Amino acid sequence: MSLEDLSPELSEAGEHLHSLVSEMESRVLYAAALLTRNGGLQVMVNDREQRVTEIPPNQGLVLTAWNGAYFEEAASSDLSPKHMRKLARHLAEAIDLAPSGGTIDPGPTKRAHFWTSCAIDPTTLTARDKLDFCVELHDKARHLDPRIVNVQVRYNEMLESKIFANRTKRLSQNVLRLRLNVTMFVSDGQQLQYDWISKDCTGGLELVQVSDEELLKLRNNAVALLSAEKVPPGVYEVICTPDVTGVIAHEAFGHGVELDMFLKDRARAEQYLGKIVASPLVDIVDDPSYPGGYGSYFFDDEGQLSAPTYIIRHGVFERGLANLFAAYKLGVPRSANGRRESFERKIYARMSNTFFARGKTTVKSMIESIERGIYLQHTSSGMEDPKGWGMQVTSHYGEEIVNGQLTGRVFAPIGITGYVPDILQSISAVGNDFALSGGTCGKGHKEWVPVSSGGPHLKLKARLG
Amino acid sequence: MLKQIVDALHNQDGVHDWLARHIQKTSTQYYVIGHNLESRRTVNSEQVVAVVMNDHPATKGQELARGEAAVTILPSDLHHLSEKLSQAVFMARLTDNPPYGLPGPSKYPNTELADPAIREKPHQVAEQLIADLIEALDSERDVRLSSAEVFVEESRIIIQNSRGIHGSQVQTNLLFDFVLLASYNEEEMESHIALERCRAADLDIPALAHRHAQYARDAIVASTPKTGTFPVVVTDEALAELLMSSGYSPLVLRSAAQLKYQQMSTWEIGESIFKTTSSGDPLTVYSNALWPFGTRSNVFDAEGLPAQRVLIIEKGLLSCFWATQRYADYLQIPPTGSFGNMEILAGSVPFDSLFNDEGPLYHIVAFSAMSPDPLTGDFVGEIRMGYEISRGQARAIRGGSISGNIFDILATARLSQETTFLGDYIGPRGMRFAQVTVAGT
Repeated sequence: MSLEDLSPELSEAGEHLHSLVSEMESRVLYAAALLTRNGGLQVMVNDREQRVTEIPPNQGLVLTAWNGAYFEEAASSDLSPKHMRKLARHLAEAIDLAPSGGTIDPGPTKRAHFWTSCAIDPTTLTARDKLDFCVELHDKARHLDPRIVNVQVRYNEMLESKIFANRTKRLSQNVLRLRLNVTMFVSDGQQLQYDWISKDCTGGLELVQVSDEELLKLRNNAVALLSAEKVPPGVYEVICTPDVTGVIAHEAFGHGVELDMFLKDRARAEQYLGKIVASPLVDIVDDPSYPGGYGSYFFDDEGQLSAPTYIIRHGVFERGLANLFAAYKLGVPRSANGRRESFERKIYARMSNTFFARGKTTVKSMIESIERGIYLQHTSSGMEDPKGWGMQVTSHYGEEIVNGQLTGRVFAPIGITGYVPDILQSISAVGNDFALSGGTCGKGHKEWVPVSSGGPHLKLKARLG
Repeated sequence: MLKQIVDALHNQDGVHDWLARHIQKTSTQYYVIGHNLESRRTVNSEQVVAVVMNDHPATKGQELARGEAAVTILPSDLHHLSEKLSQAVFMARLTDNPPYGLPGPSKYPNTELADPAIREKPHQVAEQLIADLIEALDSERDVRLSSAEVFVEESRIIIQNSRGIHGSQVQTNLLFDFVLLASYNEEEMESHIALERCRAADLDIPALAHRHAQYARDAIVASTPKTGTFPVVVTDEALAELLMSSGYSPLVLRSAAQLKYQQMSTWEIGESIFKTTSSGDPLTVYSNALWPFGTRSNVFDAEGLPAQRVLIIEKGLLSCFWATQRYADYLQIPPTGSFGNMEILAGSVPFDSLFNDEGPLYHIVAFSAMSPDPLTGDFVGEIRMGYEISRGQARAIRGGSISGNIFDILATARLSQETTFLGDYIGPRGMRFAQVTVAGT
């Protein structure tokens, strides 16, 4: 089976989707069906263990029916034609149509199949090849320094297959997501510290290679953390690497413009549509069609084809990210941001690849422009606060800048907090570089979906602690 | 489905040990915005996780090695079951790990895991929780419901392995996530809480609604804290988040036999877990998988080891590493099963006395997110809601952060006498930490 092909089980079940939609629409105002199958391979090698195992597959059908006021859904892992028909019949029969309910536009007619393109397709390699690749990388990293107590290499290969159907559409996609992570643990006999390199993409193995130079830098950073200090709390001028930049975009103006939050009166951004919210240097974009982005896909879980959305342009808040229900209720255009964690979960408005657009300033000149500040280098977590417009980003470490020079003095960890408009309006330079970092994003504390975030280096002011 | 898979495992070449877990789940989900339904869902799923072990000569050296791989078998996979199991054996053959065993049969406890109300009428439980919340908010000034989500679930697990284990358990689970909005003088703020329990009766909705309504109202007038080093009291859900972090707590991971084996925990049995001399109340921690209706309680864990209550830390000294069978074999210690609920013994200070101080001290009731680094214990967390207490007067605060190291602050902690049960945490309702760095204005 090539990367282009859907699995036989999914293809077979997919043949029934249009008839299931028709059967439901004989009783309800709008219906749709989504088949999903996620699964893949995980390889892990560290000093004392090896593992090659399947990433547990998640496969199921979601049937969605609109009664004019809200969605009813039934979902099951049983894809037998008999069970799928029964599920559709029971769902449709149980629906109470809302009086004077509105209708949902199924969108233009479209039939298409999409798949991720790769230069080196990992699905054509054996599990042994991938284990050898990880062992080799582990051995290379392990011998770089006597203070290393363990190195863990983890390779994840996830194939996400989907078929969506409503009365006008039949879309299918195979999206291949890869992640390679090298974590180095070091000790001086008293304490343990660690740092990591993460590579990720939708695409082939060519996009997740780690160079010898990157391993050396990883060793240097991990060892430097052994003498890291706590940052004195205060407001600093900071330079953010693309990794930190991305989490700021994601937490500051990503979650807060997911339009289902507007419906719940949970987003302060609602009052700022069309208004200035950031420095004029700032453009923030969400783009599920970004080539190779870890959060990329061809269509969302409601059959909307992927396209970029400019959230902020030249500092002005232009529009938010919509799922079908939020777009319908708010009377705004849809965007391809209706996503669910799995067939077991509901659709929400979610980000995909969210980033600051590239600027014009070199990183070198940004650092040189700072008299006293911190170079924030690596993010370990973030949290949104769309109503209060607060923001929390944790940087794994940062390096001191004095008189335009990096001093080698390291602080760790560093919490970056602040009021979102203050942070965005403090941006005084946007780098001419660009990178995305992948990960998983929750809505609140659950509903995990693959995303990426990033952009260029940024210079801004923030409260650190 | 399980019998067919177990039969196939018996007959599969290259399987030297095996474990199979049959998991069936039903989920009833309600979502409301304001007082209106946004969506209702029902979900059914079924799968068997088959773990196979293959013994083979190690690639390097002459010793026998064991490899392990898991495959998940869905109902639609049954027609190519043999192919799935061959794939698992192939993957298991690739890896060279030191040999280890599987648990054998043992007597399982009768841990209470399933709420009869959820099992009988899941829709009614979901609707009632939302109705109770709406009713409780009727008496709350300037506060309304933004949105709520209720997940009412039942899981049935049957486990078998090649050493003769055969067990079953039924567990219910409830997730209640709601957001309250307070409005005053054209200002609006929210309070958001996500609660997980096994039993509906363990949620006191009127009390929760009242407390979070107050937080939402206070958030409107809150300002940022001062910068400096202050005593900090953390209570209720914020304390459980700081200490348990959904299982990724440094207290849990540092005491794991797996991390000890992988040389990523420096702890030693009988030694203090603190870097400095403890000046606080003695800290005693159990892994308790037997607590009735605890969200991490079980009859048996994922390997089939029976649930236990295990003393992990006694008065600040590591008492034992918790260990699954594999890592127990590697370290030659008794297996305890997976870490259960975190149980911390009560302290000697009345809850209200934690706040006795001229001040200023900070009382934190909600973090934006708080998960200390599982290996180093370092933490930074934004204050989502709290209070600055000075000479008995409380001022609402939000924004800014606290930072430090979890082991350093636990070494100075005073623990309340009063305890609370919050799903996976059973322990003091509040802790007072002597000196914590606060970043504010």
